[in-house]
Amino acid sequence: MVTNFTKYRRRIRDVLFAQTSIAPLIVFRIIFGLMMFAGTLRFWSKGWIESLFIQPDHFFHYYGFDWVKPFGELGMYAAFGLLLISSLCIALGMFYRVATVVYFILFTYVELIDVTNYLNHYYFISLVAFLMCFLPAHRCLSFDVWRKPSLYCDVIPSWPIVIIKFQLGIVYFFAGIAKLNQEWLFDAMPMSIWLQAEAHWPVIGNFFTEKWLAYSFSWLGCIFDLTVVFFLLTRRFRPAAYSVLVLFHLMTGMMFPIGMFPWVMILTTLIFFSSDFHQKIIIFIYSKLNLKVASAIEYNSLFLHGFKRRFLTFFLVTYVFFQLLFPFRYLLYPGDLFWTEQGYRFSWRVMLMEKAGTAFFYITDPETGRKGEVDNSQFLTLTQEKMMATQPDLILQYAHILAEEVKSKGLKSPIINAEVYVTLNGVRSKLFIDPEVNLVELKDQWIHKDWILDR
Amino acid sequence: MKKILRFASVVGVLIGFSSCDSEKPNDSVGYSDLFEHTADNLIIPSYAQFQSDLSALNADFNSFDASEVQSLERLQEQFKATYLSWQSISAFNFGPAAEYSALLLMNCNSFPTNIAKIEDHVQSGSYNLGVPSNYEAKGFPALDYLLFHTSQSDLLIELADSSRVNYISDCIDDMQKRIDEVVQSWDSYRAVFVASKGNDRASSLSLLFNNFLYDYENLKRDKFALPSGFATQYGIPVSADHALVEGYYSQMSFELLDANLSALQKIYLGIGLDGVDGVGIFDKLKEYNAQSTVVDGDLALAIQEQFEACREAISVYTNDLSSEIESNNLNLSQTSNTLQKLVPMIKNDMRSYLSVTVTSTDADGD
Repeated sequence: MVTNFTKYRRRIRDVLFAQTSIAPLIVFRIIFGLMMFAGTLRFWSKGWIESLFIQPDHFFHYYGFDWVKPFGELGMYAAFGLLLISSLCIALGMFYRVATVVYFILFTYVELIDVTNYLNHYYFISLVAFLMCFLPAHRCLSFDVWRKPSLYCDVIPSWPIVIIKFQLGIVYFFAGIAKLNQEWLFDAMPMSIWLQAEAHWPVIGNFFTEKWLAYSFSWLGCIFDLTVVFFLLTRRFRPAAYSVLVLFHLMTGMMFPIGMFPWVMILTTLIFFSSDFHQKIIIFIYSKLNLKVASAIEYNSLFLHGFKRRFLTFFLVTYVFFQLLFPFRYLLYPGDLFWTEQGYRFSWRVMLMEKAGTAFFYITDPETGRKGEVDNSQFLTLTQEKMMATQPDLILQYAHILAEEVKSKGLKSPIINAEVYVTLNGVRSKLFIDPEVNLVELKDQWIHKDWILDR
Repeated sequence: MKKILRFASVVGVLIGFSSCDSEKPNDSVGYSDLFEHTADNLIIPSYAQFQSDLSALNADFNSFDASEVQSLERLQEQFKATYLSWQSISAFNFGPAAEYSALLLMNCNSFPTNIAKIEDHVQSGSYNLGVPSNYEAKGFPALDYLLFHTSQSDLLIELADSSRVNYISDCIDDMQKRIDEVVQSWDSYRAVFVASKGNDRASSLSLLFNNFLYDYENLKRDKFALPSGFATQYGIPVSADHALVEGYYSQMSFELLDANLSALQKIYLGIGLDGVDGVGIFDKLKEYNAQSTVVDGDLALAIQEQFEACREAISVYTNDLSSEIESNNLNLSQTSNTLQKLVPMIKNDMRSYLSVTVTSTDADGD
């Protein structure tokens, strides 16, 4: 037992602290910074700062984060301005530590404002930005090294690269696990619905209405997600796996309105390529910019010793375990995950279901007995209404938003019921929650919501 | 370096391959048949019909003689016919109709109308019907008031007043100007509408679907639930108010409601203005149902049956909706439920099958 433990510890140490080239991390930093810059610009130019953070009258908060509020018009534009500057600083390796911390905090803040904006790849970016705060990704080809040459190093311990590969692997692997379900594999649902919508594609579009193609896409997508990361880790299959990856993301990028996600994945997975590959990119940039290659210092403090190293190891192992376990928290809840969405977020469940809801909210004034249906558009944006109508925790939040609103208008103790219909994966709309329950009396909690009806 | 180049070229070829193939047109599949039929047999003829009805109304008005009750009756009848004809185009509030210079829906049918404002305009003779604040003082609801709000004999006295006559004439002219523009714009917009591919926010599929849904939701709420006392205003339950119905003064709210329902049903089924049954959303849903792996009853048929149920539900009333509200008819709540049932069928099931995009933001969930 003891020897086993020592053996594992040694193995962990070998994986995390082996010497490796800094090149992949540097290329990753530059790509990440530039991509985040482009992504923020895109977000800005589409007018989403206005429509997502300024226009809405109400915001849906994450459990425990109801204190996160938008800054108002000027504040929001300032935050996005800072995001632009800090992402550019990350790319340039300029005041790297400050830039990553600012980027991480602001990006996460923006995502926490409204749950209805949740996207898995935003969560991914938050996590990577968090990790970046601790990585020595500015110690080569950077403004910081130019300013302070002693920062330069060409060899680093391998954990920074390992943890990013791990994070990427998690995204694919869990997306694959999530596809291991009856509907995805054996009904080709929702793939057959989605493909029909793209039947206008030339040449292959003609096959999109064929069942066999929907099944093939479902299975191939699942196998791809489950295995691609392992192929990327092998030298032999890497080029083939990456080509498939590029094709996969471009296809899905054309099929679904998933924005930057395909590009984020295509470019960040370059980190799986060899040090030589990245070294060549760096040398190429050096030669183009006419930079002098610095020489490495003798002593490299990055490898750490004693307590510091143990602490870092502990931190990384905890992070890994959290990432591995958190997506499985849904097992603690009864009922069908896709239907109840209890434990659904932060688990890499990307493009898995076709779900739509219609929510009729009724407010009753117990004093007059008068009852009326709410016009949701008087309180929510289209996006908010759409997201709310299929997610029980948001339905409950909306009821409380309504209660606050009508209380402020003098309706002291409103009774709020919701008649919600949801369709999931092409099965006709069904009643989603108990229409008799007074939502005002309920609180959002971690425990199972027993007012969700069976699928 | 070579490796990088080789690698870059592979990526380049892949990108090139996959991005160019969305450009070439392909008419054999998709929605072009639906768009063509809807444009040529529903939208364009309905606009033309409405345009000619409106001209007829204008003609009747120009020849109106305030000393003859028959002349007033003719005018009232033509008003009713035109208002009914409007119901066939209210769901097409996109493309030219949604252009700022037209904004048909807001300008033609904002109800309830604001009587005080109308009387004020008539009195002062100075008004600008082009501004949004006057939506509630123009269009059919304003004409409904001006042509029906009192007995025929009193109306004849009123309509001898030239300032009133001018106001009515301006209201009709305003609508004519707008519909003329829309009809003309459809000449070139038709090609754009028919050629549209895909399902994003700006696609014809999305425009057609979202306006269809919007029109139905308006029908359900503004034309029925709100006046009947089944709705809220900013969360506060409101009591029934018979004056909120569409066509309040002409007492034709049920007729208008049925015309609206029937128009939506025809769009759904693909029944053209001339009665020819072509490709409608119904037929597309049939195709999907036939191909889908998980089928839970025939959605296409269920929606059609619900349309029938709705029309039947409103056909049982003998009086106008405004009087039924006043007599506190208990059936109204039943009817409201029947109308409600169609909403999730359109908003969830139909939307899911057509994969229409509702919002413009990125998604990764559903």
